[in-house]
Amino acid sequence: MSVTGSRRLLTVVASIAFSLAAGSVQAQTRSETLRYVTGASVNTLDPNIPGSTREAFAVSLSTYDRLVSFGRKQLNGKWVFDLGKITGELAESYEVSPDGLKMTFRLRKDAKFQDGTPVTAEDVKWSLDRVVTAPVLGKAQLLTGSMTSADQFKVIDPLTIEVTLPKPDKLALPNLATVYPIIINSKVAKAHATADDPWALAWLKENTAGSGAYKIETFKPGEQVIMARNAEWNRGTPDKSAFFKRVIVQSVPEPATRANLVERGDADIVVDLQASDVQSLEAKGKLKVISTPQYNSVTFVSMNNQIPPFDNVNVRRAIAFALPYDDMFKAALFGRGSPLFGATWADGKPTSGAYPIPQPVKLDLEKAKEYLKAAGMPDGFSTTFSFNVGQASTAEPMAALVKESLAKIGIKIDIQKLPDAQMSTQINEKKLPFFTEGIVAWLPSTDYFYRNFYTGNQRWNYSSINNPELAEIAQKARFEPDAAKYEEDGVKLNAIHFSEIPQIPLWQPSQDAVMASSVEGYTYQFHRQVDYRDLNRK
Amino acid sequence: MAAFGATVIRAGRRFLSSLPALFGVLVFTFLLMRVLPGDPAVFFASGPNAGNEEIEVIRKQMGLNKPVPEQLMLYLYDVGSGNLGRSMMTGQLVTKDLRERLPASLELTFTALLIALLSAVPLGVLAALRPGSIIDHGVRFFCALGVCVPTFVSGLLLIYVFYYLLGLAPDPTGRVDIFASLPPRRTGFLLIDFLLAGDFDGWWAAFRQLILPALSMALFVVAPLARITRASMLVSLGSDFVRTARSVGLPWWRVVVTYALRNAILPVITIAGIVFSTMLGANVLVEKVFSWPGVASYALDALLSSDYAPVQGFVLLMATVFVIVNLLVDILYGIADPRVTIG
Repeated sequence: MSVTGSRRLLTVVASIAFSLAAGSVQAQTRSETLRYVTGASVNTLDPNIPGSTREAFAVSLSTYDRLVSFGRKQLNGKWVFDLGKITGELAESYEVSPDGLKMTFRLRKDAKFQDGTPVTAEDVKWSLDRVVTAPVLGKAQLLTGSMTSADQFKVIDPLTIEVTLPKPDKLALPNLATVYPIIINSKVAKAHATADDPWALAWLKENTAGSGAYKIETFKPGEQVIMARNAEWNRGTPDKSAFFKRVIVQSVPEPATRANLVERGDADIVVDLQASDVQSLEAKGKLKVISTPQYNSVTFVSMNNQIPPFDNVNVRRAIAFALPYDDMFKAALFGRGSPLFGATWADGKPTSGAYPIPQPVKLDLEKAKEYLKAAGMPDGFSTTFSFNVGQASTAEPMAALVKESLAKIGIKIDIQKLPDAQMSTQINEKKLPFFTEGIVAWLPSTDYFYRNFYTGNQRWNYSSINNPELAEIAQKARFEPDAAKYEEDGVKLNAIHFSEIPQIPLWQPSQDAVMASSVEGYTYQFHRQVDYRDLNRK
Repeated sequence: MAAFGATVIRAGRRFLSSLPALFGVLVFTFLLMRVLPGDPAVFFASGPNAGNEEIEVIRKQMGLNKPVPEQLMLYLYDVGSGNLGRSMMTGQLVTKDLRERLPASLELTFTALLIALLSAVPLGVLAALRPGSIIDHGVRFFCALGVCVPTFVSGLLLIYVFYYLLGLAPDPTGRVDIFASLPPRRTGFLLIDFLLAGDFDGWWAAFRQLILPALSMALFVVAPLARITRASMLVSLGSDFVRTARSVGLPWWRVVVTYALRNAILPVITIAGIVFSTMLGANVLVEKVFSWPGVASYALDALLSSDYAPVQGFVLLMATVFVIVNLLVDILYGIADPRVTIG
């Protein structure tokens, strides 16, 4: 009896001691752990898999390296990615030939995959071949940089690879820094390839074989990803491994809970809070809030230029002068973003060749009525205004204001709130007359925006505009080497945009990154996610 | 023993007879998903550069390029061989997703139902013993409050008070503290798995994590359970056998518990069965608010993105659970009232 009693006592003491020890170990690692919470989820470890989410992109940036990456610059005191500065990641150096047709990359000699084997030019070739050959997302992306075939990638020696281009293309190099062209350990991947799946898509979806800053520890799709630092990785700035020993990416669907977590210090950083929560957290002043206007994205009200009455340019102009811009901006975003309305263009010319630029439109119901009269519809008409459920928190108040304001010039609006899949289907089939959407371009150059969002009979041409002049200038500008001429083309494109008003740019919403005051190094990235490698704790 | 064997045989027969209904549910959901507007391929091909080619790839991957009858045959074949398809959303097999998430939902729902029953039955009995008294009104008020406040409001309130203000509860994200290690998976029920692993700290952590969501779910269902208990207790307290029991001078608790309550419990069991099935499938909001990795929030996300396979899998699962719960309720009937048998 006494023996079992004392044994029991011993067990209790031991377990208490153990739990105390465990507690102190936990406390120690907490500051070296980054806990990132998000409303979305990671669904694949290979960003190339069709259907992969933005959170999956962010994880892949930490687990894989690319040949090159974007530098960063300061914009109004905040760090943002720099499209103009491309630095080596796996490449130690790169050269672009004077005619712009050849890019040569020399790999770092010390670069190793996570299994310890060196990164070779063969691996790079296999990985790039995969992006342009396999049925993956990267294919369409690299197409925008004139890379379409495996023949374009050539191994010169074990540490040198050459990329040839059919035309000098400004976007070729930046494309290699985007999310998709990850460099995979080809030996490992090939070992898991099958006859049906020569590019190991199925295996790489749930496993990684990269050289990146972090290794995957646990991957639970829809719940969490836990990553451990790869101490060998030295591609950080300057030549160091990443700061955090562990990164936890956790899905927390409820925005209010995410706000609570970061305020209580249980989460370190979050980028997708509701604007109202961000505002109150900022007012309390305990946390660091970095708001960067998403300068590669635009939210707009779009009209289908092929469907009556929006095929009439005067109707579109009437709408452009009947939107209550200021109220919408306040109601939807609490003013967090940069507005694209209310500009004054001296003698009616666009102020720059960049896209997007603020438009000379404001709420002016008299002018709107005149345009409506000119369109032959002085009494107005009825139509629908659609938005998707996923954007309801910003689009719903906006839609109500649009309805109220347009009613004043006789346009009756029926608001349609569509499930996301239904909305994308209807947009793809060009069935929606009048709706709001947001776009984003990873490589935000004027011609890229115009080519992708204003030309062709394709999904991203939301307004279904078909203007041959615009299409021609945009195509030409793509390969325009002279910066001054490129700017001129941009101005022309912006002028056509304003005279046609195929759709009405509203604003660029802010990316509000809310983080513990100890977290430093946050940079706004082209993929609008947190690059965990940038961060450290002071 | 023989009676027990007979019950098992009858239960088995009952289950077999519900298979056609399950088959109907399967086909119906399959067709319903295809009739709904929204093309999943377009939705999932929403990368910055996804064009028609990408949409076609996904359509092929999901098998949507074939005619619907052929898709149905393939789907039925797959289901027959235990494969519910693959979710586009999580990239996993639906069976795997459901297997991982169902225990989470079940654990939460069981705990919530237990809390609800433990509070609703005594409350109902108390109210029935003193109808019209202050206790009765108090119970009625409490029930009305519980039903009026939607679960996500009570959930957010509980979080605000116990996590945000008082700091008593752990952060409301999932089933266990993110920094804690999980026990080896045996049943999928964390409370049981931690016990089996002998990890009491872990058990306590999981329990703390569970208590708030279970409470907010329980609050909502206390009302129907308490009201039903009260109503049927009133009937049985007013009946002849209770009067007889009282007149022969049995102790009051014996009258109330053994004679009145046992006779009054039947409708409560029925309602509890229905409440359980509803809670399991319909408490999306609690799962969302507490980031609980359960099946209901999984199905909602899938529905919003028109991800066919998970929705179909979820409906089939719910139908199966409903059949099993009903069967269980019928068996419990037999125990509560020997006059009732299933057949």
